[in-house]
Amino acid sequence: MDRMEPQAFADLLRQAGDKAFNFAYRLAGNEQDARDLVQEAFARALEHAGSYDPSRAFDSWLLRILHNIFLDGTRRLATRKTVSLDAPAPVEDSSWEDILPAKEMSAADELIRRESIDMVQLALEKLPAHYKAAVILCDVEGMSYDDIARIMDVPVGTIRSRIHQGRVLARKAYEELERKGERRQ
Amino acid sequence: MNGHADGPELSAYLDGALAPEPRARVELHMSSCGDCRAELDSLRHLKLALSAAPRKAMPADLAYALERRFVHADAPAPWYAILTRPAVWAPAGALALATLTVSLWLRSAATLEEIPLEPLLAAHARYSAEALVPEDNLVASNYSDQVSDLPDAPESDLQ
Repeated sequence: MDRMEPQAFADLLRQAGDKAFNFAYRLAGNEQDARDLVQEAFARALEHAGSYDPSRAFDSWLLRILHNIFLDGTRRLATRKTVSLDAPAPVEDSSWEDILPAKEMSAADELIRRESIDMVQLALEKLPAHYKAAVILCDVEGMSYDDIARIMDVPVGTIRSRIHQGRVLARKAYEELERKGERRQ
Repeated sequence: MNGHADGPELSAYLDGALAPEPRARVELHMSSCGDCRAELDSLRHLKLALSAAPRKAMPADLAYALERRFVHADAPAPWYAILTRPAVWAPAGALALATLTVSLWLRSAATLEEIPLEPLLAAHARYSAEALVPEDNLVASNYSDQVSDLPDAPESDLQ
């Protein structure tokens, strides 16, 4: 693989690095796997730079590569989850309203909100890979259905269905976690 | 629209991904369907919760590692990278160990020199006195009395 010009690579990192890492972290659920995913994605992107269409956004292309790597390694990644299922019970009876930031929040409210956000993340991790990726790209990354369809290489109609099913499953997983009193440690 | 709004269509409405015609249809249905409004609210809360999770920025060391790997692989390493080479840290470690050993030895030698002289002299005097006691009288029961009755040891023995 040819070496890149420092400035060109710095531009790519600035353009897509944070988004790629956040996507990888949400997909994998832990930092070490996110690091591996991002490194591998950049390696493959630069290795196949010739197939990149400059008329498309680089970050979408990189996320597509990253998503494919994740799907390839889902079984391996699944063995290294960092989620603790025997952690102390969280605050009970938190609703979706608890998760949303209020105008004035006490420290205790903020703690409850953060725990709830953690539980949403935990619920997200319980989704099957295809639903999880669709929901992350839509709700976390704020991407359009068209961009998500390009990244996941499926029709827009399929993306629409996956996003909705993913949300319904995430909501169910959240309610289940809340009932059992689980949270990320 | 019969029954309730289609789920994926409701999500697409929430995401602003519906064309004008189906969007108007969904809005018309929700104006008279409390269940679908509640479902939309629930989906909106979930979406907001997911978007509220703090974003994970790429760690600086990972960005540096990527740059090193894909840009500067042939460039000279920074000066402090030399510290990670065994050829440097092995002799440096041996030198540090030797220095530590010598320091400890010197410290223990200094400690020996600091033993007070007076108790040693007193012990010497006691042994000298014992030497003057006849062997037949070296019985535990009267040994101390006999030693105390002896004259002081000669000055020459204390030198």
